[in-house]
Formats: sequence, C-alpha cells, structure tokens
Amino acid sequence: MIYADKNTRVIVQGATGNQGSFHIGRMNQYAQSVGGCGVVAGVTPGKGGQESAGVPVYNSVQEAVDAHDVSASVMFVPGVAAGDSIMEAADAGLELVVAITEHIPVHDVMKACSYAAMRDCTVIGPNCPGLLCPGEISMGIMPSHLYTRGPVGVISRSGTLTYEVVHELTRAGIGQSSVVGIGGDPVIGQTFADVLEQFSEDSQTKAVVLLGELGGNLEEEGARMADLPVVVFIAGTTAPPEKRMGHAGAIVSGGEGDANSKIKRLKSLGIPVASRLSEIPGLIKEMV
Amino acid sequence: MKLLEYEAKEILKDAGVPVPKGILIRAGDDAGAGAAQIGELVVVKAQIDVGGRGKAGGILMADSATVQEVADRLLGSRIKDVPVHAVLVEERISIEHEYYLSISIDRSSGSPLILFTSSGGVEIEEVARTNPDAIRRAVIHPLLTDVPGYTIRYLLDGAPRELGPVINKLYHVFRSRDALLAEINPLVTTPSGVYAADGKIIIDDNALARQGISENRDLTDRERKAEEFGFSFVELDGSIGVIGNGAGLTMATVDLITVLGGKPANFLDVGGGADRVRVAHAVQLLGSMPGVSVIIVNLLGGITRCDEVAAGIIDAGVSQQVIVRLAGTNEEQGREMLNKHGYRMLDTMEEAVSAAVEVA
Repeated sequence: MIYADKNTRVIVQGATGNQGSFHIGRMNQYAQSVGGCGVVAGVTPGKGGQESAGVPVYNSVQEAVDAHDVSASVMFVPGVAAGDSIMEAADAGLELVVAITEHIPVHDVMKACSYAAMRDCTVIGPNCPGLLCPGEISMGIMPSHLYTRGPVGVISRSGTLTYEVVHELTRAGIGQSSVVGIGGDPVIGQTFADVLEQFSEDSQTKAVVLLGELGGNLEEEGARMADLPVVVFIAGTTAPPEKRMGHAGAIVSGGEGDANSKIKRLKSLGIPVASRLSEIPGLIKEMV
Repeated sequence: MKLLEYEAKEILKDAGVPVPKGILIRAGDDAGAGAAQIGELVVVKAQIDVGGRGKAGGILMADSATVQEVADRLLGSRIKDVPVHAVLVEERISIEHEYYLSISIDRSSGSPLILFTSSGGVEIEEVARTNPDAIRRAVIHPLLTDVPGYTIRYLLDGAPRELGPVINKLYHVFRSRDALLAEINPLVTTPSGVYAADGKIIIDDNALARQGISENRDLTDRERKAEEFGFSFVELDGSIGVIGNGAGLTMATVDLITVLGGKPANFLDVGGGADRVRVAHAVQLLGSMPGVSVIIVNLLGGITRCDEVAAGIIDAGVSQQVIVRLAGTNEEQGREMLNKHGYRMLDTMEEAVSAAVEVA
C-alpha cells in the first residue's frame, strides 16, 4: 500500500458539515471492517467540544494533533478556505493531506501546495475522491464496495471514472493495490509521476492504470518515467477547444493539452492507450 | 472568465503599466467630441472576445475628423458573427519595437510561469514553432511576492531595461487578480516610453466572487441556466443528449458516442449527490435542445442514489427516448421504477451508448 495503511490515524478538516460528518461515518465503517484506526478526530473552527459521527471535534488542527497523535488529514472545507486549511495541517506537522474540496482558487492551491512541500507534507488533490487501499484504509469518498485487493494500482484525475474502472477491474477478477484520485484541478499536489514513484516502491503493485483527461501534459510526464507497466486512458477526445469540461483543469488552452495529441504522443512512446474503458481489464491482464 | 481589452487595460493602468490614452464608446454614445480629444490619429478597436479580430476588420484607423463615423460603423457591425457593443478609441503610438510578455500557470511545477520574447506582436505559438530559442521562460516560486531581479535580467536578455518594471507589475496583477493568464502582446517601446499596446487577462472562475465579478460572461444562455442548477455543461452540435455524473465519466461517455459513430449534443455533469429535482432539471434541459433525438443517462452512484435518479427521469417526462444505465446505491429500486414506466435500461456503459447511437 502507499501513502497510508491500517495504522494511519486520521483527522477530518471540515468535520461538522454534511459532507464531513457523512464521510467520517463511511471511512470509519471501512476502518472497522478491516481492523484499522480510521478517523479519530475532527476539526471545525468554532465547533470545538462537539462531536461529529462519533469523533470529538477541535477548533484547530494543532489541538487535534496534541490530543490524538494523528499524522494525516482528509479535508472537506469550502473552496475559499481550503488553501488556508492545507497550510494549517502542514504547520501542525501532518505528513499527508487528502483535499477533497473542489472550486479552490488556483492561486490558493499553488501557494498552499508549495508551502506544504516546504513542511514535508504530502498533498493529494484538491478536487479529488481521495485514496483507497483495499483491506487497509479509505481516505476520502470512494465507494469501497466496488474494490478488491490485488496487484493493480490506479491513478486518476476523475472520481466517477475511477469507480467505473475499478468496477470493471473487480468484475474481471483483477484486484487493486491502491487507488489514488489526484484531482481534476490545473495545479495538484501529487502528480501522476509522484504517485507512480510510490507504486514502483510498493512490492504489491505489478501494473498501473493511469486515467487522464485533456489539459496539461502530466500523463505523459508520468508515463515516460514509469518503472512499472502502465495502461493509459485519456478522456475528452471530443472536447472543443477553450471549453472547460467540468474540471477546472480539463481545458485545452493555447493549443496545449488536446486529448488526441496527448494519446498520439503516449502511443509514440510505446505506451498502451485504451480507446474505450472496456479495453482496460484486457490490457492489464496481459501484464499481471 | 476572459476580460475584454479595455477591462484588462484598466487593470494594467491601475497597476502602473503605461497604456495608450484611450476612451471607451458604447453603442448610442455621442462619441465624437471625447474621442477627438484622444489625438489627431487614432485606432478604433472592437471590444469583443474574438481572436484575430484585426484581420477580421475589428480594428480600424481613423483621425479626429472621421472617428465618430468609424466608431459608428464598427458599433453597428458583427465581427466573426459577434455583435460589437463597444469600441476602444486609442491614440496611435509610434512603435519602435514589439515584445511579448505573459504570465500563466505552469502545471508541471504548479507555479507561475513568465514568458518573454523580443519577437512580439504575433501569436506566441507561432514563435514557439518557428524560433523556440527566442522565448525566455522563468518559473517563479508561488510564495514570492516579487519577481527577483536576476530573473528579470535573465528574461530581458539584452532587451531595454525599462521593460523590467513592467514584468514585476504584471506579476502583481497576475497574483492580485487571481489570473490564469496575464498577457501583454505587444509590449512596445516608443520614443515616449514603454506601453502595453494590447492586454489579455483571464480570471480563475473559482475566484470570480472574491474578485467582485458576479456573472461569468463566457457562458452561453443555456450554459448559464445549467450553472444555476449546479451542472457543468458544454454544448456540442450532435443529436445525442448526454447526462453523466463526474466530469471524467461524462467525458468518457461523450467520447464513446463518437468512437461508436454517433454525435454527442452536449456534455452535462450533474455533479455528486444529484437528487430527484436536479436530475429532472437536467433531463428537461436536454429535452429542450433542438436537434436532440435521444438522451442517454449514465450514472454511477456512490453518493448519488439510483432511486432518486429514476424518479427525476420519470418526473422530467420528455418526449425524446431516454436510455438509462444506473449502477450503485439503491440500484434495484431505481431499475424497478424505470421498468414500470417502460424506460430502457442497460447494464453497462458500452451497451447503453451503443443503444443510443442506434436510435439516433
């Protein structure tokens, strides 16, 4: 597994909102089923002393860290406050922040991610479904019932696309080692290349599925340096230029990031690219 | 959201970047007197969000005697099918040399990226293709509030030193305005100093509210309506309406339609946790689009409940055939409801898309 395991003790930032409390419950249900630590505390400024989904809530990350010896956070705070919350977690010494929040201004993301990097805090996301290592831990909002333990790593810019592929893999009898949603924003903490590096050091991972989309060239950067066999899918081949396809990062601008040319470049590097999602299990089966 | 030239120039001027003397004239304004004050020789520029507007007749030369007539002519016209509601009348400056300066976001490093070249005045993509070595690039650490002096010296590479302060001022604009792009092209030298002859600023849609912008003008009417419901929506020009949840899965659905030989009419992501009312709005929105002959709903429920989705589809009651693929939470209840009302349900995304392509 990568980034986190059964023993990772987690806080949730934005613990008392609808999303926060609902997902504390779901994450802890999963932790219970696999015998993990799960979410031990929550943070919402001004709501210290309350409880959310059975865990105590604190006013600041530092207070939660002092009381519970935690090392990681899952974040559900609203967009305009999220950059600040990432820096707060990094300052309190957390090693990992999984930022689920979408619609964070990109200038805030740039500042928060570079600040977290200086504090040796790893940021996954923002605008992502999180991280799920089957049998170990769920940090985020992924529907865990679709997942099974196995040798395939998945890295994705999109939530539901991830679930679709995990569902297909599971139905084809192919389990997953870890599944990481890196997020659909133009600037993200962990990139394809970063997560691939983690997978290459993980003895349980034998092959990786990269689920990319139009915009930027992070897929190519990652696939280029992969030690493990990879299969790539790129969404957005029919997207018109200059239109944002749902994700803030899914836009072709200044001629950069067009899905079809991305696919062409990946293929020219000898990397298998699935033209339909349904092809992925077949391609992966040849590798593991 | 893209700002128009005059808006970008107001911001640049506020930040201390010299811009040519100018005046904005809207349709119906009595322009002559004010515009004539700008100078003997002027340029009249259509304020529209269209690339290549110069070549398309959107930038005209005039003098103090003809400016009213030229402005009126542009204001009544359409450039590349976009109506001209306002023109910027500017003094004509005598350009010695044109440079290109922009600041955007480098996704690989997650940092601001400054580009500068002495080969300005044309598309940067053109320079990148024909003479890539002429472009100087510098990535700035996101926590720096100023561009370091050594970086400015590197970027200028022998260009006049008076351009240096403009780089730093544009960087301040980029940061303080939540810009995705801040560009001056051309940045020009003249006998009377340096000017931003044109300016382009794109504001991050996620920061519009804190920038005091209440409405995103880049959206079409239908896209704006979709945004009110909380959907991500892009119009395409085919006949198969598409509703999905999650940007990636919806995009993949649109792509698969094309792979299987159909033509998607749109991209519509209903978002996470869509309930009955939102789904009904989404189906009705597509039902109202001329040219949509069939609608495919491809939803993978996590937070989204399939029974809510089914109820929404039934409520919408559109005349087009709706083909549904639902998986996830409360799938069985959803299927039962749709079956009872005679909707066509398919198990996989590929089967559903194939069926929609056949019907269309």
